[in-house]
Amino acid sequence: MASVHESLYFNPMMTNGVVHANVFGIKDWVTPYKISVLALLYEMTTSKPIALQERRRLNKLILPLQQGPDLTLGQFLKTVGECFLHSITLALLKDMEYFFATLPTPFRAIDSEAYKTSVVGLFMRHMLLAYNKLSFSQVYKLYKALQQYYHSQFAQPGVSPVGIPGLAADNTDMDLTSTEDTMGERMEKDELDTTPLHESDLSRGPLSQKQAEYFLARQAYLLKNDENKALKPAALQDELNNMLKFNPDFAEAHYLSYLNSMRVQDIFISTHSLLHYFDRLILSGSEGKSNGDEGYGRSLRYAALNLAALHCRFGHYQQADLALQEAIRIAQESNDHVCLQHCLSWLYTLEQMKGSDSSVLTEDSVKMAAHFCLPYLASLGIQSLVQQGAVQGKTAHELMDAMKETDILHWKHSLSELIDISLAQTTSIWRMYGKSTMAQQQAQLLLNMSSLEQVNFGVHQNNTEAFAVILCHLAELHAEQGLYGAVSEILKHLKDQFPPHTQHAKLWMLCDLKIQFDRAMNDGKYHLAEPHVTAIAALNKTEGLYRKALVLKALNRTTEAYSILQRLQLYCEKTKYTEMIIRVMLATAELHWESSGFATALPLLLQALSLARQHHLQALASETILHLAFTQLMLGVPDQALGVLHEAMEPVLAHGAVMDKGRALLLAARCQVTIAGAQPDCQRHAALSLAAQTLGEAAAYFSMLDCKERLRDVHYLQARLHHTLGQTAERNKCAMLFRLLDQELPAPGAAVAMRL
Amino acid sequence: MAALCSEFGDLVQIKKQLISVISLCKERGLVHSVKWASELAFALDPLPKNELPPPAIFTEEDCQDLDAFGLAKSYFDLKEYDRAAYFLRGCRSQKAYFLYMYSRYLSGEKKKDDETVDSLGPLEKGQVRNEALRELRVELSKKHSAGELDGFALYLYGVVLRKLDLLKEAVDVFVEATHALPLHWGAWLELCNLITNIEMLKALSLPDCWIKDFFMAHMYTELQMIKEALQKYQSLIEAGFSKSTYIISQIAVAYHNIRDIDQALALFNELREQDPFRIENMDTFSNLLYVRSMKPELSYLAHNLVEIDKYRVETCCVIGNYYSLRSQHEKAALYFQRALKLNPRCLGAWTLMGHEYMEMKNTSAAIQAYRHAIEVNKRDYRAWYGLGQTYEILKMPFYCLYYYRKAHQLRPNDSRMLVALGESYEKLSQQVEAKKCYWRAYSVGDVERMALLKLAKLHEQLNESDDAAQCYIIYIQDIFSCGEQLEHAEVSTALRYLGQYYFKNKHYDEASLCAQRCCDYNDAREEGKALLRQISQVRDQTETSSTDLFGPLSSNNTPVRRVSPLDLSSFTP
Repeated sequence: MASVHESLYFNPMMTNGVVHANVFGIKDWVTPYKISVLALLYEMTTSKPIALQERRRLNKLILPLQQGPDLTLGQFLKTVGECFLHSITLALLKDMEYFFATLPTPFRAIDSEAYKTSVVGLFMRHMLLAYNKLSFSQVYKLYKALQQYYHSQFAQPGVSPVGIPGLAADNTDMDLTSTEDTMGERMEKDELDTTPLHESDLSRGPLSQKQAEYFLARQAYLLKNDENKALKPAALQDELNNMLKFNPDFAEAHYLSYLNSMRVQDIFISTHSLLHYFDRLILSGSEGKSNGDEGYGRSLRYAALNLAALHCRFGHYQQADLALQEAIRIAQESNDHVCLQHCLSWLYTLEQMKGSDSSVLTEDSVKMAAHFCLPYLASLGIQSLVQQGAVQGKTAHELMDAMKETDILHWKHSLSELIDISLAQTTSIWRMYGKSTMAQQQAQLLLNMSSLEQVNFGVHQNNTEAFAVILCHLAELHAEQGLYGAVSEILKHLKDQFPPHTQHAKLWMLCDLKIQFDRAMNDGKYHLAEPHVTAIAALNKTEGLYRKALVLKALNRTTEAYSILQRLQLYCEKTKYTEMIIRVMLATAELHWESSGFATALPLLLQALSLARQHHLQALASETILHLAFTQLMLGVPDQALGVLHEAMEPVLAHGAVMDKGRALLLAARCQVTIAGAQPDCQRHAALSLAAQTLGEAAAYFSMLDCKERLRDVHYLQARLHHTLGQTAERNKCAMLFRLLDQELPAPGAAVAMRL
Repeated sequence: MAALCSEFGDLVQIKKQLISVISLCKERGLVHSVKWASELAFALDPLPKNELPPPAIFTEEDCQDLDAFGLAKSYFDLKEYDRAAYFLRGCRSQKAYFLYMYSRYLSGEKKKDDETVDSLGPLEKGQVRNEALRELRVELSKKHSAGELDGFALYLYGVVLRKLDLLKEAVDVFVEATHALPLHWGAWLELCNLITNIEMLKALSLPDCWIKDFFMAHMYTELQMIKEALQKYQSLIEAGFSKSTYIISQIAVAYHNIRDIDQALALFNELREQDPFRIENMDTFSNLLYVRSMKPELSYLAHNLVEIDKYRVETCCVIGNYYSLRSQHEKAALYFQRALKLNPRCLGAWTLMGHEYMEMKNTSAAIQAYRHAIEVNKRDYRAWYGLGQTYEILKMPFYCLYYYRKAHQLRPNDSRMLVALGESYEKLSQQVEAKKCYWRAYSVGDVERMALLKLAKLHEQLNESDDAAQCYIIYIQDIFSCGEQLEHAEVSTALRYLGQYYFKNKHYDEASLCAQRCCDYNDAREEGKALLRQISQVRDQTETSSTDLFGPLSSNNTPVRRVSPLDLSSFTP
């Protein structure tokens, strides 16, 4: 009905409904703006006396001017500089035909910059060709447009329309003159232009195919490499919609719209755009063989694969699985091994995301990818294998060897993206092993490395997951050292680089929350830590549960904490999340301490220790040893405790967090004191002063973190020691410090002696 | 309803009004409104001489402008719009003012169309605008705020606003126009195009006039509220418009929309009798003939239309349908293409062309056609469904789910989409979803009567024999109750399964009944006989004392008076 109605009043031959893409194969056409660029080029090639510096500046401008969207004359003059053009434009307005005739033909001018193969020459040829193709009415239209283009700049509201007219008067004797251009009409037009309606349309014309392609390429590149520099999602979508309105067949725009809506996690539009893109792609590839390597059979496979990837991104694993199976089936039917490899690598990724073991699949994928000479997929597979191996406790040297081999591969094929990932992964592995120095070094390596990828549009690639991971690690490492100023700076950078709606934002969100939580816990401000638990749980369930248990434990709600820990342990054992298992065990052991079940804690700790050693988790191993030593101390074997403690002391001091260092030293001091108690008097004095010294060091670490509760304990112990040693002055000083802190803090929650 | 009747009671009055509005519209060159009103006036009894309405009163201004107006109107009729506008520029009368503005508007439109052909580049095509619109808007809005616009000028103002995509303002102005001049059908029609849902319709305050009923009926058809639309049209017919071809065609289209093919066909035949040279709506008619595979009728229609005017979109569509029915799909596609050349916004042709390409197994061209159809109208469920089918043919069941879902969203109560969804889910081994789809398809009224069968088979596969049997029973009842003999083979499978099912569950009476029924079908006869034999064997064993030992035939006499879920006695297959 609508269609019938449309033709009710007007010409039934109306064709503005559907626009066929590029019917005439025209990629570019002449617009007033293009003419201005031509005029600029003309000036630059013909009139030589331009200062060298000025010339350089203009030369740099040429490419962006040629490729960019149409500017108004005002904008154009602002970029180029007023001095040019005025005369030439006037001449141009007088006789456009003559201008095009006098343009230096690229075929003749061999020695000039406008030679036919140069960028400028190519542009000129395009323009000349497009101009020569125009019919008379089109030329007329172009001329009118040019006039309006010029007048819109120089007939500002301030100047009365009668003012321009040096030109308007001259117009009359030109071959392309408009007779209707009466005064009254011009008045009316001015009036119209001041109305707000359609203002945006006025300012910018449609993009030509070339310009559109350039725009899409640029935005896509920016989305990939530095999202913040790309247009805002809403603005970009507007632009794309606009483009699609004028040319619905411009398939790439649909793809960009898909990417754009992925940015804002909009599943409806992204699915829609993706499918639309592939529908369109199938059209454009239809000339090829129906099912061969090229042609639309191929795009069908990749369509299904992309759909799988999309569902993967949104966490719809079942949907992703179905789509992937479809892609695999079609790829198999048409013997497309490359596509199959891509499918396989998605398959193991999917399995991994679902939390099941996929190492066999991954190994297969690596082998096949190597066989089909797909270095990217192969080393991606190896990286995934390394990740799985690290979690499953493969020996470190195997992993590092594998990483090294893939690195060689990366450098050979200049896969810069994979190099980044590899560095990030090494950082993570070192961090997991508890070697903070190595981790830091790798992180710095990535941050300071100049990327292999060429720098387009002045943007370095720095918004990949690898960078996010590394920066998060750095933040956490700094937090461990108590450098909270640096931490907040890093986090601020992360926030800028990865705005909250983006894909990798969850990484830093979790990292930020963890740091805040740890800080609150260390300060003993449990009420501050509690709200973070919910936020963490939203981002990572296991982590959230663990932190919840910690808070409950700290608040002395032992039963609840215990049940959560039990649940968590079962879950982690099922998913083979070793780090968490060990941490849960340690927390459980601490719970046992609180009920004075030191003996029951012991087997648990030993189990944890063996697990940590088996997986080379040095930081956790040291932590376990600390716990072990404390248990032994409480069980009354301080000699043993001190012996065990010495084993852990070195790695803790070398790699551990400041907090751990303090705790280790405090524990050591307590062991020393206890041992000294059993020694004869002559030795006791020396031992006690040693303990006092250790305590001093511990106090230094704690004060670095401003951890007042622990400082209070330390000062108390110090005061007692100094008292025993008869050092009254020191004793009084420590006592005073203790007193100050004690007044400031509430009564101690747990007994001092009962805590590590 | 009583109010309606009383309103229509005075048909003479209505006729008078129509006649006067016809002359008004004619003076102003609003040809389509003239056509509509004339059609309606023709349907009413002629007036006696003394009842004829007097010609419109001439004002002083009209007299002054008479010559200029006459000259301009002649130029206008010859499509020299700028010239017409030039001579009207000084006129003072309302009539001349309207024609002045209208010619400027049409001149802009004409230039726009001409320019589309040689615009500077493909991307600029969509950019071509009617340059006159903005000026017209400024002038009209000035007059509008001064309250100087009459009904026709208001209508033009509305059209200008709509063309500038100022839809909200346009609706207000059109409502004002209908108040100012309720009899101008063009304003109503424009309003109809701007209303997207029933809430919006209810919120409008429209003039209380007999023409409002025509509008409401039209609106209900557009909003797919077919029942209400039919009711409205029926009451209009009862009120005395029974001869109106407009109403008949609208009712026929409405029946077509709810797939009541017989009714629609009858109405279209009536329409053709009354108005044999009518081309409008004939594409819908041909769709109906196509669905019913009525080759001779369709061929006759095509011949007839070609004779009348072969360069009409409708004619091309009819010919396309004709070739499609004769399985000459290349030619069919060619004619749909021609239709699209005549009017690229012709939605139906895009979809139909897609179907033709599908028949030719040219999937990529089909996808292109469907995508175009969606571009023209996003709510075209047939195109979405077609896209789904294309991908299904390409063996991508997961991929086509999206398209079927879209189609289903647009037509939630259409069983075909649901069955298609169910089939895709079944292919993806998502039996739970598939079952839901089939069941829903059955509940909304299955057109093809396949949903239950598929559901039953699905249950059968999943070894849910009770559910399967239940579905088969409903299926058989359904098939027999609808009277037509559709697929014997499928009935026989149902019977076969039911026989086995009852046999397993030791309901021998029902089992034997099913087995006998099986014997009516060729492909199941042997099995039916075998089952009967088995049943009698079992009976022999269990009831050796039983009286009859006549073998298979005996069960024929066994009275089945127990309450059986399968009571087929009343139906003769």
